[in-house]
Amino acid sequence: MKHWLRHQKHALTTALRRLLSQPVVTLLTALAMGVAISLPSALYLMLGNLNRLAGDLPAQPEISLFLAADVTPVQKSLIAARLKQADIAQARHIPKEQALTALSASQDLADITAGLTENPLPDAWVVRPQASTPEALTHLASELGKLPGVAETQLDSQWIERLQAALAIGRTGVWLLGGLLAIALMAISSNAIRARVLTRRDEIHVSHLIGATDRYIRRPFMYLGALQGLLGGLAAGVVLALAGGMLHAPVAHLSSLYGASFQLLPPAGTEIAIVLAITTLTGWLGAWVAATRTLHQTSAPR
Amino acid sequence: MISFNQVTKRYPGGHEALSSINLVIEKGELVFLTGHSGAGKSTLLKLIAAIERPTSGVVSVNGQNISRLSQRAVPYLRRNIGLVFQDHKLLFDRTVIENVVLPLDIAGFDRREALKRARAVIDKVGLLNREKSNPVSLSGGEQQRLCIARALVSRPALLLADEPTGNLDAGYAADIMAMFRDFHQVGTTLVIATHDDRAISALGGRTLHLDHGKITEGAA
Ligand SMILES: Nc1ncnc2c1ncn2[C@@H]1O[C@H](COP(=O)(O)OP(=O)(O)OP(=O)(O)O)[C@@H](O)[C@H]1O
Ligand SMILES: [Mg+2]
Repeated sequence: MKHWLRHQKHALTTALRRLLSQPVVTLLTALAMGVAISLPSALYLMLGNLNRLAGDLPAQPEISLFLAADVTPVQKSLIAARLKQADIAQARHIPKEQALTALSASQDLADITAGLTENPLPDAWVVRPQASTPEALTHLASELGKLPGVAETQLDSQWIERLQAALAIGRTGVWLLGGLLAIALMAISSNAIRARVLTRRDEIHVSHLIGATDRYIRRPFMYLGALQGLLGGLAAGVVLALAGGMLHAPVAHLSSLYGASFQLLPPAGTEIAIVLAITTLTGWLGAWVAATRTLHQTSAPR
Repeated sequence: MISFNQVTKRYPGGHEALSSINLVIEKGELVFLTGHSGAGKSTLLKLIAAIERPTSGVVSVNGQNISRLSQRAVPYLRRNIGLVFQDHKLLFDRTVIENVVLPLDIAGFDRREALKRARAVIDKVGLLNREKSNPVSLSGGEQQRLCIARALVSRPALLLADEPTGNLDAGYAADIMAMFRDFHQVGTTLVIATHDDRAISALGGRTLHLDHGKITEGAA
């Protein structure tokens, strides 16, 4: 146990020394990793922000019911009765006369409505359902649409639904991109470590000759890979922070044009920790692969 | 401690470096290995340290059959063996003392204890004032002494030295041989390949003479 701890400490200091001994290589590798990681991370953050935007906008979805022109009074009262049931939070009736009056009130349309000989507008209801999930809403909308005397229903939250669907695709994309780039990350780490193993051939050879185990020789390289991965994750953080800083002003401007005060949210602490953990782990794994493979190639007895 | 039974070593390419060697070296023995260049002295030492494997026959060290030894067991065998290499095999990316400390690091020694021990051995081989130098800046003889210090630092039960005094002047050669004698007196087994007849006569002990891969045991 004591030996084990000593070996870990020794490996860590050795790894740090090797990292610092080639600062340019270290920096470039970290940068390559950082850029690779920042792509899925940026996409993830963008989706999170869009999701929040989508969640903010339609406080409550509405369904509009347009009645047929030849609707009978009996059908009308049946519809009114249906809209008093428990799954409807609120229902507002808009008679066609009222709709026409509202139209005439707006200046641009006044000329047009004045020229009409009869009211072309249908009677309508604006319904606010209890449920808010997209499935429940479409279900309710289609049920109401089948009531006799209802000509058409319109789900005002349809664009939200489409946005949600697009976001779902985006989320799958994040995982896909993340997975692919994790592989790329491992390749970057593995290559960097392989180069370092090769430059230390003599040391590895001599260490083998005086009783070093493969694990002893591999250990500093694995710490090196992990540290390199951690640096890569931090580099991604810097890239994202810079991008966020550059986007801050234009986003504020855009949201002010909409009279809103929307701001980009930075990632949460746990999200940062998870990304750093993943990059550290992939760096470590890549180093393991490289060190093991290269050791087998270099340790052939002479 | 060491036994060779019908050991033949043929290198890739077909050259037979050792032919049907039989020998036994007891624990605590001091053995000199002599013979012309290319006789197979280094090869014999490499077989003992499992750096090379025999083509046929059985090499056993401490009762372990070397050719059957798994790759994972080899490092632990080597930790009990001090190796002085003919070509030194020093690391030029670190100081003298870091070279000497390496075997102790590998064995998991406490750092401070390791440095203390390393300094003591470096002092013994007369390099204490070069402790912080890079081995590149050492002369051939100094490099050889450094290699000896690295072999001795872990106080191995078995020391294999390949031409340890080859580059040393008479004075240092005598000092090194005196060190070897001290180790012999505390029970270390030593196998030393050398051309140095003076050393052999000074220390006494057994001489194994190799001639084109065959052994002809000399008088003590
Ligand atoms: N790795 C190798 N591959 C092929 N042949 C080798 C190898 N190592 C040694 N030999 C050959 O085996 C023979 C014995 O070599 P070895 O190094 O054991 O001799 P030696 O007695 O140590 O000689 P020297 O006194 O010059 O060091 C030599 O003919 C050498 O050319
Ligand atoms: Mg030799």
